[in-house]
Amino acid sequence: MNKILSLLVLCISFANLGSKKDQYIARQGQVTFFSYTSVENIEAKNNQVLSILDIDKQEIAISMLMRAFVFKKDLMYEHFNESYIESDLYPKANFEGKIIDFDASKKGVQTKIIRGNLTIHGISKKIEIKSTIENTNGNYTILGKFDASVTDFQIKIPPILSSNIAKTISIQFKFQYQPYDE
Amino acid sequence: MKIKNKFLLITLLSFLFGILGYYYLRNPLYTSTEKNIENEAPALALNANELIKAFATAEDESIKKYEGKIIEVTGFIKEITFLNDRNTVILTSQNSAFGIICDIHPNQKDKLKQLQQHQKIRVKGICKGFLKDVILLNCSIDLLPNE
Repeated sequence: MNKILSLLVLCISFANLGSKKDQYIARQGQVTFFSYTSVENIEAKNNQVLSILDIDKQEIAISMLMRAFVFKKDLMYEHFNESYIESDLYPKANFEGKIIDFDASKKGVQTKIIRGNLTIHGISKKIEIKSTIENTNGNYTILGKFDASVTDFQIKIPPILSSNIAKTISIQFKFQYQPYDE
Repeated sequence: MKIKNKFLLITLLSFLFGILGYYYLRNPLYTSTEKNIENEAPALALNANELIKAFATAEDESIKKYEGKIIEVTGFIKEITFLNDRNTVILTSQNSAFGIICDIHPNQKDKLKQLQQHQKIRVKGICKGFLKDVILLNCSIDLLPNE
């Protein structure tokens, strides 16, 4: 009886190990967004974006703190967090998605579509992002760029400032993954 | 003719300096988010384990308590990284799943060079919240003597 039990425990622990092995983590992913208008260009960077990549399930999850975006000017940071994103109500932006036809074992660069739900300002939207995935010796890097419309996420910009902020924001991301070991 | 030229030059130069001075004075209005908090007093001081435990057990409460504030954290270095051209120190905790990501201010470069893994340090930064790790930005480093 004891033998069976210990075997069971062993099996479970191995099964756990197996699932962990397929997971990769990026604690310091970079997300940058740009707003280009004739009045002013706004750029903000977040260097502490968390992402977990599961190569077995071909899934990717991303989470970031809106207040961790760094702007050139203090005033932009304040407007962004207090008026537009309302970080006190929605402190995080999330993405959950699947990489379509992802071949994890393939070395080098591959271009794939990531399809999933992006949640900003408490509003979820389905998006598709063309991304470049690089596999170098079992470590993955994912890069990509997409546009998001301000109105899609019900971000209200006062009419006085509407000429300063672009209607579509260009977003860039870069994640360098490491094996997820605890 | 010569005197006239000189006069023109002086007025032009003073005009130019006037403009420069004006922009220089105006500049502080547009300080970067990446401000230096090295000489500012922290609102709270605690150790890495306490901070992580607070966020891991009661995130909402901890956000209210720590978010946006300058806090001083004492802990051991798990890792020093230079990803994305940023200098980052990650502090460990008893719970290995969580840590503290400290984004170091560029003016701390010299101190950063003296850091080693497992070293005990004190970091002062602005708390931004919690994902899998607590995130501190604009950090300054305080090296502790080896105990």
